[in-house]
Amino acid sequence: MAIDKERQRRNIERFIAKMPSLSTTVGKVMEICSRTDASPNELNKVISLDPVLTGQVLRLINSAYYSLVNKVTSLTRAITMLGMNTVKNMALSTAIIRSVAGTKKSKALPTTKFWAHSIGAGVSAKLLGEVKEVPVMEREELFLAGLLHDLGKVPFGDEYIEVLNIAKFEQLPLYQVERDIMGIDHQEVGLLIADKWKLNKVITKCIGSHHSVGPHDGGHGQQLALVALGNIYANILDHGYAGNPFPLEEEVGRLLDLAGLSQEQFCGIGGRVVEEIQKAEIFLKI
Amino acid sequence: MKVRFWGVRGSIPSPGPTTQKYGGNTACIELRVGPENRLIIIDAGSGIRSLGNALMANDLPKGPINADIFLSHTHWDHIMGYPFFTPIYIPGTKLRVHGPVSFEDDPLEEVVGGQMKYRYFPINLGELASDVEYFRIKEDPDIDLGDGLRLSTKLLNHPITALGYRFEYDGRVVCTCYDTEPFRNLFITDPDDPAYDEAMAFEGNEVAVEQNMAIEQFFAGADLLICDSQYTDAEYSSRINWGHTTMEYAIGAANRAGVKKLAMFHHDPDRTDAILDDFAKTYCQPGKYGDTEVFFAREGMEVEL
Repeated sequence: MAIDKERQRRNIERFIAKMPSLSTTVGKVMEICSRTDASPNELNKVISLDPVLTGQVLRLINSAYYSLVNKVTSLTRAITMLGMNTVKNMALSTAIIRSVAGTKKSKALPTTKFWAHSIGAGVSAKLLGEVKEVPVMEREELFLAGLLHDLGKVPFGDEYIEVLNIAKFEQLPLYQVERDIMGIDHQEVGLLIADKWKLNKVITKCIGSHHSVGPHDGGHGQQLALVALGNIYANILDHGYAGNPFPLEEEVGRLLDLAGLSQEQFCGIGGRVVEEIQKAEIFLKI
Repeated sequence: MKVRFWGVRGSIPSPGPTTQKYGGNTACIELRVGPENRLIIIDAGSGIRSLGNALMANDLPKGPINADIFLSHTHWDHIMGYPFFTPIYIPGTKLRVHGPVSFEDDPLEEVVGGQMKYRYFPINLGELASDVEYFRIKEDPDIDLGDGLRLSTKLLNHPITALGYRFEYDGRVVCTCYDTEPFRNLFITDPDDPAYDEAMAFEGNEVAVEQNMAIEQFFAGADLLICDSQYTDAEYSSRINWGHTTMEYAIGAANRAGVKKLAMFHHDPDRTDAILDDFAKTYCQPGKYGDTEVFFAREGMEVEL
């Protein structure tokens, strides 16, 4: 079955045009969370402007993670009992994951498995960042970049099954088959979404170039290499599925050199990745 | 049950001639339960080193050491003694380390064991000869620890997740309530402030009152309450949000809750023996608070229940 490249591109562009913008709440939550002097009143107000987000934050607090004896039923209560930092972190993660997860159901890439892969890549990139001792705030950025690296696969429809099959049988990198068959790869599609959502430079770069990491990537070479390695780690771990199980061995070696990591350091994050993934998956269940 | 204090200080060890009487080691409490003398350790501050030595001398000759360590939280003064607790290096030792972890933190093993990396300490966590298991615990009204010992835990108010522990055995109750600060209304209460929100101000107050009452209920009727009392009321105004309680508040709460003995704990590192003795004249007079006996916890002190 041949896929009409022109039609495919139009479909993708139409899908992206219809995708919701990153909500103003998410923008405001991001802003409040990056300020150390934000007051409890401000945090409460920003989250409560969005009733769905409020509900999700409260459900998260009442999930297995804290499981307090008495249920937390309001943001005011949550902030009083658990403090600003905890509520800030929960709101930020919830808001971002909500904006990207659940936008579409696909037969080619089942939603849960797709986001499990994405979380795995984010967590792995963050832990590799920890090994490299990057500052804490930048580790969160690595998590987000890893989480969103395959964002460009979200608009693909059921015809993507064919792409996956060809990549599997011919053992070719997915982005290459995407280009051959559909005329566009998921990195390019991801860039279109990143542009629409006005994501920051590092995250955008990781979405657009995680399969083509060069030595001089505009000062973001290390982050890019860490996210690309996080993606590979999630594939090796076989946790979740985003259709790309064939990392080339020489590619791993090259990325490790770029990131300044040894093979042992790369493998050493093992046990913690699974635990971090389970923690992050709480967000997907709500 | 029998309690022995191995460390009573808060924040940082404070050795020297001015702290000899009350002791300079940070939090560590030994709890012995029942006819088998079951060992429970609460917190692994610098005081746990001497406890470890005592176990090596007195317990090890009778058989391998088997203990549960409960961490109130993972701030440094409550875990810093862990690498110096000799039984962790002895094959055959069985330890179960229990403690809370904040949402944004790593697993308990990483948080506690992270100080055993070559950059901080000559021995790596992976090299321990003993058998140590780590358990993350949450707020829970009833945990069965076996042998008739029951535990309930309560979320306290501290910058990271901290738990109070209530141990009950044979009708006796030992309770810890540190590090914690009374909950308070965090929201703007001044109606003239542009950010004032009536509903937030009202509910913020309600939740604080209710949570403070819940903590009093948690230690109600305890035979011994070991409570954060780092500051005095006079000092508190410049230490709001630091996560600690005042002596006056601890006494009032213990008294309202019908606590029989209140051990004031987590002494500020700047408190000398002379100052604490002086405070004791004010706060620890026998009979001053009805049936509640109040004293400052002291290193080496034993309380039999």
